[in-house]
Amino acid sequence: MSKADHYEARRQARELEGPVAAARALAERLGLEPVPVNYWIVDHDEMNELIAYDGFQTRYPHWRWGMKYDRQRKQDRYTGGKAFEIVNNDSPANAFLQESNGLADQKAVITHVEAHADFFANNQWFGLFPGEEGGAAAMLERHATRIAEIADDPEIDREAVESWIDTVLTLDDTIDQQRAFQRQLGEDGEGAEEAIDLSEQLAELDVSDEVRGEVFDDDWLDDQTEDEQIDRDAPEADVLAFLREHGMAYDESAERAVEFEDWQREILELLRAEAYYFAAQRMTKVMNEGWAAYWESIMMAGETFADVDEFLTYADHMAKVLASPGLNPYALGLELWTYVENRTNRREVLERLLAVEGVGWRNLDETVDWDEVRDALEPPEAIAAAGATDLDAVAALPDHLVDRDEIRAARDGAFDPSDASWRLLSTDGMARRHYSLVRPEHRQFLEDVSRDELEEIARYVFDGSRYDSVTEALADVDYAAGWNRMFEIRESHNDVTFLDAFLTAEFVDANDYFTYEYSRAAEEHRVASTDPEDVKRKLLLQFTNLGKPTITVEDGNYGNRNELLLGHQFNGVALDLEQAERVLERTFELWGRPVNLATIVKEVDDHDVEVARRRSREPEPEEAGLLLRYDGSEIERRDLPWSEVEDLAADDVDYDTKPEDWLQ
Amino acid sequence: MGLIDDLERFRSVGEDRREDLEEFVAYGDLSASDADSVRIPIKIVDLPEFAYDKRDQGGVGQGDAEVGQPVDAEPQPGDEEGDPGDEGGEHEYYEMDPEEFAQELDEELGLDLDPKGKQVVEEVEGDYTDVARAGPDSTLDFERMFTEGLKRKLATEFDESFLREICTVEGITVDDVFEWAREEHVPISYGTVVTLHDEVASERGRWESIAEVEANVERTPVRQRIRQEGLDHVPYRREDERYRFPEVIEERERNVVVVNIRDVSGSMRQNKRELVERVFTPLDWYLQGKYDTAEFVYIAHDAEAWEVEREEFFGIRSGGGTKISSAYELAEELLESYPYSEWNRYVFAAGDSENSSNDTEQAVIPMMNAIDANLHAYVETQPSGNAINATHAEELETHFGEDAEDVAVAYVGGPEDVSDAIYDVLSTEGESDA
Repeated sequence: MSKADHYEARRQARELEGPVAAARALAERLGLEPVPVNYWIVDHDEMNELIAYDGFQTRYPHWRWGMKYDRQRKQDRYTGGKAFEIVNNDSPANAFLQESNGLADQKAVITHVEAHADFFANNQWFGLFPGEEGGAAAMLERHATRIAEIADDPEIDREAVESWIDTVLTLDDTIDQQRAFQRQLGEDGEGAEEAIDLSEQLAELDVSDEVRGEVFDDDWLDDQTEDEQIDRDAPEADVLAFLREHGMAYDESAERAVEFEDWQREILELLRAEAYYFAAQRMTKVMNEGWAAYWESIMMAGETFADVDEFLTYADHMAKVLASPGLNPYALGLELWTYVENRTNRREVLERLLAVEGVGWRNLDETVDWDEVRDALEPPEAIAAAGATDLDAVAALPDHLVDRDEIRAARDGAFDPSDASWRLLSTDGMARRHYSLVRPEHRQFLEDVSRDELEEIARYVFDGSRYDSVTEALADVDYAAGWNRMFEIRESHNDVTFLDAFLTAEFVDANDYFTYEYSRAAEEHRVASTDPEDVKRKLLLQFTNLGKPTITVEDGNYGNRNELLLGHQFNGVALDLEQAERVLERTFELWGRPVNLATIVKEVDDHDVEVARRRSREPEPEEAGLLLRYDGSEIERRDLPWSEVEDLAADDVDYDTKPEDWLQ
Repeated sequence: MGLIDDLERFRSVGEDRREDLEEFVAYGDLSASDADSVRIPIKIVDLPEFAYDKRDQGGVGQGDAEVGQPVDAEPQPGDEEGDPGDEGGEHEYYEMDPEEFAQELDEELGLDLDPKGKQVVEEVEGDYTDVARAGPDSTLDFERMFTEGLKRKLATEFDESFLREICTVEGITVDDVFEWAREEHVPISYGTVVTLHDEVASERGRWESIAEVEANVERTPVRQRIRQEGLDHVPYRREDERYRFPEVIEERERNVVVVNIRDVSGSMRQNKRELVERVFTPLDWYLQGKYDTAEFVYIAHDAEAWEVEREEFFGIRSGGGTKISSAYELAEELLESYPYSEWNRYVFAAGDSENSSNDTEQAVIPMMNAIDANLHAYVETQPSGNAINATHAEELETHFGEDAEDVAVAYVGGPEDVSDAIYDVLSTEGESDA
């Protein structure tokens, strides 16, 4: 970067100091609780580099970063796809803004980042990875330095280090990301402390040699340690941890398994820690991006954080981001959050209405005038929109909606209320202003409630005659209900539970989602179902276990020959066997002895396909057990009797959405 | 550590993962390449992972859809935050230019052809080292002009004060001074001496003789004087003007013209066409890489022949019969623009060996003899074994013999034969040149 460029970055940084502070205050006023954020202005190349390195400046040496950078640069150049920002989860979080963004983009990006920062701070899945000393960036940098040291060690072959990293990376999805990360090979030797030497403890017990000989004989002692080391019965989801504890390297010249080198075990552990760190991000992608897009839109459009002349640019870019094809986490997330908000608000309103004397779920439509309801829900004129603000009218509003101190400050001329009218409002006041059910795009939402939902809500209304009139009932509506529910959900959910809970039939229909499946008879993909339940299952498949098949350690002493047996927890979707074989070849490097993978395959013979095709049907595949085994030189495929894979087969899930007669 | 290292490692990893060249030629996707750059696909991510079978997984799409309607499987949800392995099926390309391709192929197939054919002399512009008396101002050799001017100045300058002293010698005449100046090679005119002589008339008598002046007055050489007093005027002359112009260099260049002939008759089905493309394309790249200038001529023929563009060449299919000699007639005609004295010529033909009766014997073979070329080759693509009447290749082989120096015949039954065929063709030429 030349001096002139630095100058430009610094100039921009100064220019953005105001918007950054304002965005933070605005976010807090909306009820968000973002962690502190450091903002950086970076140029094109730096941005591409950051993206390649997952948002951090220093990572361990590996060709993969180079590859990602190369791709990012080409994508940048050829598709015009430009990254506006990248933010990493750390405390404080670091947000990198592209220097070439216009002011409108920078402001949008800042509001977006503030929402991410709130998500990092409050989502429990991010809490699973304990805070590292100095934060994530410092941790990754420590790892980088350590791995670089190992690679530079003249005693250690550099190629071997790189190949080892590759090997571990092939398995870095096979962790137990649902569980809190524990660094068992602590840098400070925690692991050593935990390994209690039983025989030493016995010595301290001061029992007589006779008793010792009778009860605690050597066999017993061996049993104890054995049990601690390998629980050979329970499937272990953290395959990497298992391999770290019990794995061995293969010594080619000696043709046998040998203990890991210290550096091997260490790298494995460092990479495993990183996999856990990044898992939280990957598990909450839809929620997190949707969350940021939601609040960005509230702040930029709803609170005119974008100036009038910036607004079009902002709207244009936002539309492009949301319209990008495929399964777009921004669009899906934003839609779901909006849906959560509307649905909660609707429920709140309906609960009030159903508590009005004479109003029940059967006669709701006849007894309630929806236009009147909507009118009643409109925010008070004085705060309905950001922009030109009548201070006296705002001051006349009830206390809970406004911030008296700020009104005073505005009267004293400390700021122009028309520029930042949000400063005059309390969080409640903000909720009132942005109340979702009165926004033009959601006007129908309230009355579009389904019979089922209405009936269900009615069931929970205890006192059906609490209010005498609709007006009285609506006066009690909690306008912050939607936001409060959103805050709760952002704390406890991840993408899987989020989709599972809020992807409703209504949502699927409204957005025209469908599933598709591959037809063996037609030899192409066909639309399989538009049933919301099917769509949801298919979507969940892409998010459950980060969209990867679940692989567990089934046995560390398979066939009583110290072989490793991995099991594919079959959910009805078959494995990519070619890739699985290549993973096994790599896994061998971590076990040192033959490795096996038990899975279930779906077999269809050509004859059946032919018959099915002629009858315009889809052939019915047959599920069968299959064992892949790699012994260090070649892959072997062997059929397994059903009894051996039965426990791998799940009978309560079915991701197949093919209808019976879909080819006719 | 750092981006530069990681990029470099990626490049070398990429190079390792580059498809084996032989494999690429036989089975790879040739369509990503063009004449100037050969793009060899490399798998960009080679790290495998446990993943679902893509087909079995199905997916979710968005839009108006009827159950049963075919869809393009959409890409899986992108994970731009860097999920290694998500890029599973994508390819990146390793680009090489034809020179590199030729070199790699040499290594791969154990060839090492050094084109020894004709070298054509061509005049090209070299450095601006020649000079002329006229030319554009921008090419004026000012340095030279200055040097000449300086020389002239040095030649015409004289030590005026010393000459004055000479003129003050008792009783000296203008003629005496001029004579002395001549002897001393002082560049001075008679008129100047007269002037000087007049100017110092009152001082005459200061010295007894010229010898006394020479002994007592120090003479300042011109150089020294210029250094002391500065160079006030350089006498430029038009005759010193020189203009630089580029030197003409005779360069020897290797030119090649490659004639690709292909049978496009009805019997040349898709798989045969593909095999021809697989053999011809690498040959073209190779020769382009080996020669400085390469020209390609594409001739398609059934019972008649016509010239086509490269883009169409491998795709054409017509209905007619086959008469191979028609193509050679056209080739001969087209090759007239590439005289054999100046061009290396390669004539490659391919087809399924089917030809109209007696055409091979009576027309093609005489034509092949008549057309001067470094190498004639016929590549038979016959994926399903020989048809009874497909005898063109055999007839050629019988006539020219297997060890012919400038005729190669190769048989390609499937992609696995491609690299052998290329080797056969190219090595034939190698021998002939040896």
